[in-house]
Amino acid sequence: MSAVTGDAFEALDRLAGGLGTALLALATVAGWVVVGPACLIGIGLPMVQPMLSVTRSVAERERARLGRWGEHVVSPYPATRPAKGWRTDPATWRDLAWLAVHSAVGLPLGLVGITLPIMGVRDASFPLWWHLLPEGETGSSLGIPVHTWPGVIAVGLSGFVWLAISILCGRPIARLQSLPGRRLLSPHPSVDLSERVARLTATRAGALAAHAAELRRIERALHDGAQNRLLAVVVMATAAKRALERDPANVGPALDRVQLAAEQALTELRGVVRSILPPILANRGLAGALSAVAADSAIPCDLRVGQLGHLPLSVEATAYFTVAEALTNAGKHSRATRLRVEAARHGEVLRVEVEDNGIGGAWERGGSGLAGIRRRVEAHDGTFTLTSPQGGPTRMKVELPCAS
Amino acid sequence: MRIVIAEDDTLLREGLVMLLGGEGFEVVAAVSNPQEFLAAVAWHSPDVAVVDVRMPPTHTDEGIQAAVEARRSHPGLAVLVLSAYVEQAFATELLAGGARGLGYLLKERVGQFKEFLDALKRVAAGGVAIDPEVVAQLFTRRRGPLDRLTVREREVLALLAEGLGNIVIAERLQITEGTVHKHISSIFGKLELAPTERVSRRVIAVLRYLEG
Repeated sequence: MSAVTGDAFEALDRLAGGLGTALLALATVAGWVVVGPACLIGIGLPMVQPMLSVTRSVAERERARLGRWGEHVVSPYPATRPAKGWRTDPATWRDLAWLAVHSAVGLPLGLVGITLPIMGVRDASFPLWWHLLPEGETGSSLGIPVHTWPGVIAVGLSGFVWLAISILCGRPIARLQSLPGRRLLSPHPSVDLSERVARLTATRAGALAAHAAELRRIERALHDGAQNRLLAVVVMATAAKRALERDPANVGPALDRVQLAAEQALTELRGVVRSILPPILANRGLAGALSAVAADSAIPCDLRVGQLGHLPLSVEATAYFTVAEALTNAGKHSRATRLRVEAARHGEVLRVEVEDNGIGGAWERGGSGLAGIRRRVEAHDGTFTLTSPQGGPTRMKVELPCAS
Repeated sequence: MRIVIAEDDTLLREGLVMLLGGEGFEVVAAVSNPQEFLAAVAWHSPDVAVVDVRMPPTHTDEGIQAAVEARRSHPGLAVLVLSAYVEQAFATELLAGGARGLGYLLKERVGQFKEFLDALKRVAAGGVAIDPEVVAQLFTRRRGPLDRLTVREREVLALLAEGLGNIVIAERLQITEGTVHKHISSIFGKLELAPTERVSRRVIAVLRYLEG
C-alpha cells in the first residue's frame, strides 16, 4: 500500500516539475511569438541570440529534470557553447520543437495530473464539511449542485474515484508528459557521436586533473608537515639516547623536544586529515556541516541550504572549506555584523554564496586562505568570484560542477 | 671536525646541532636557507657540509642546487645530503661532479646513530655514502653492463656504493675478505675498468653503478 502511495506522490512530484518547465516553455514560446514577426521587419534580429540562450537554458532545465527521475538525457551540445551556426544546428531546432509541444501538451497534462488528486481529496471529504457552506452554494468539484445527503454521499464516493484515477494514472500521465523531452531533447540518432564523446572525455579529464591536484596537495602536506616532525622525533630521540650515555643531565631537555616534535606531528596529521575530509562532513553531510560552521561563526550568520541532492564527496568537501574559510576571514577582517550563506544545487552546478555587511577590501594574497580556496575550486573545474570593494560588502561566489 | 649544517626545519636543525655537537664535532654554522649556506661555506671553509634537500623558497631541490654550487666553488668540499625521501635524480645530479666526499642519506638514518656517524666521517674523509634505499631502487631500474654481474657481485657493489670497505663488506655478507676481493676484481673486469685506474676504481665502479 505504501509503495502505491509512494509511487503516486512521486508521480505528483514529477507532474509538478513538468508543469514548471511547461510554464517556462509557454513563456518562451510567447517570447518567440513576439520576436519572430519582429524579425521579418528587421528589428527583432538582435533579440534572436538572447532568445536562443533562453530556449537552451529552458531545455537544459528539462534535461536536468528528466535526469533527476532516472531518465538521463545527454545534452546534444558540446561542452563549449557555439556562438554561431544555430540555423544549421539540428539540436536547436529540436529544442524549439520541444518548446512548442511541451507548452501545448505538457501544460494541460500537468494541470490535469495535479488537479485530480486535489479534487479527490476535496470530494472525498465533502460529507464532513458541506453543511458548513452557505445554503445553496454546495456542489461537487465539477460544479454539480448538491443539496441532499444521498447526493453528498455520492460526491464523497466520487472523490475516492478521483483519487483512484489519480493513483492509477499518475505515472502514465507523468511519463506521457516527459515523452517529448525524452524524444526531442536527446541528440538525434543520426548526430555524430564524436561531440558527445568529446564532452565526456573533457569531463573525465577534468575529474582526473582535480584528483591529481588533490593528491599533490596531500603529498605536499604530508611531506612538509608530518614527515618532518616525525624525523625531528627520530633525531631528538637519538640525541636523548646519546645524552643518556654521555651526559644524563641533558636527557630531560632532549626528551622535552621529543615530546614537542611528536605533538607537532600529531597536530600536522590531524590538519591533513581534516583537509582531506573533515570528520563532521563524513558524519553529518554537507547541510549538517555547514550549519555547524555557521553556528560557530563569531558573526551572526543566516544559513540557507537548498536542495542539494546527491553530491560527490570531493565537491561537498570543497564547498565546506569555502564556507569555513569565508567565515573565518569575515570574523577576522570584515567587521561585519551580519553574514549570509547560501548553498543550493542548480541542475548540475552547486552554487555557494557568502556575503557580509562589513568593510570590504578582502583580496587574495599568495598563500592566503582565499588563494587556497580558488585553487581547490579550480581543481574541480569550478569558478570562484570575489568582489570586495573598499567600504564593502564582501561577496564570494563559488560554482562547482557536480554531475554525478 | 668542522661542520656546516643547512636545514630549514628548526627542530631538526637544533636536533642535528645537539647530536653532532655532543659527539665532539665543531658545528661552525647552522643555517636555514641556501644563500646563508653558501655564505657559511665561503666564510668557514668547513670539512663537511650537511645539507637538507628541500629548502626555501620552493622546497623542491634547493639543497641539491646549493650543494652542487658549493662543490663547484670549493672543490673537495665534502657534502652529506639528507633527504626526507629517495629521489634518484638528485643523487645522479650530485654525482655528475664526481663522487669523492659525497653522501646521500635518508634523514631517518640519523636514528641509527653509529652508522650515521661512520657515514659522515667517511664522507668527510673523501669516501662515499649512498643510502641503501637509493641503491635498492637502482637495482630494480637499471639495465646495461650491470646485467652481467652475478647476484653476489651486485650485493658487493651495492655495499661498495654505500661506501663500505672490504672488511665490513665481508662481515655483512658473512664471507671472507679474500672472497670479497675476488668479487671486486670480477666486478672491475666486467665493468672493463683497467688496473691502471686502480686508485679510484672503487669510486668509478660505484659511479658506473649509479649512472647505469
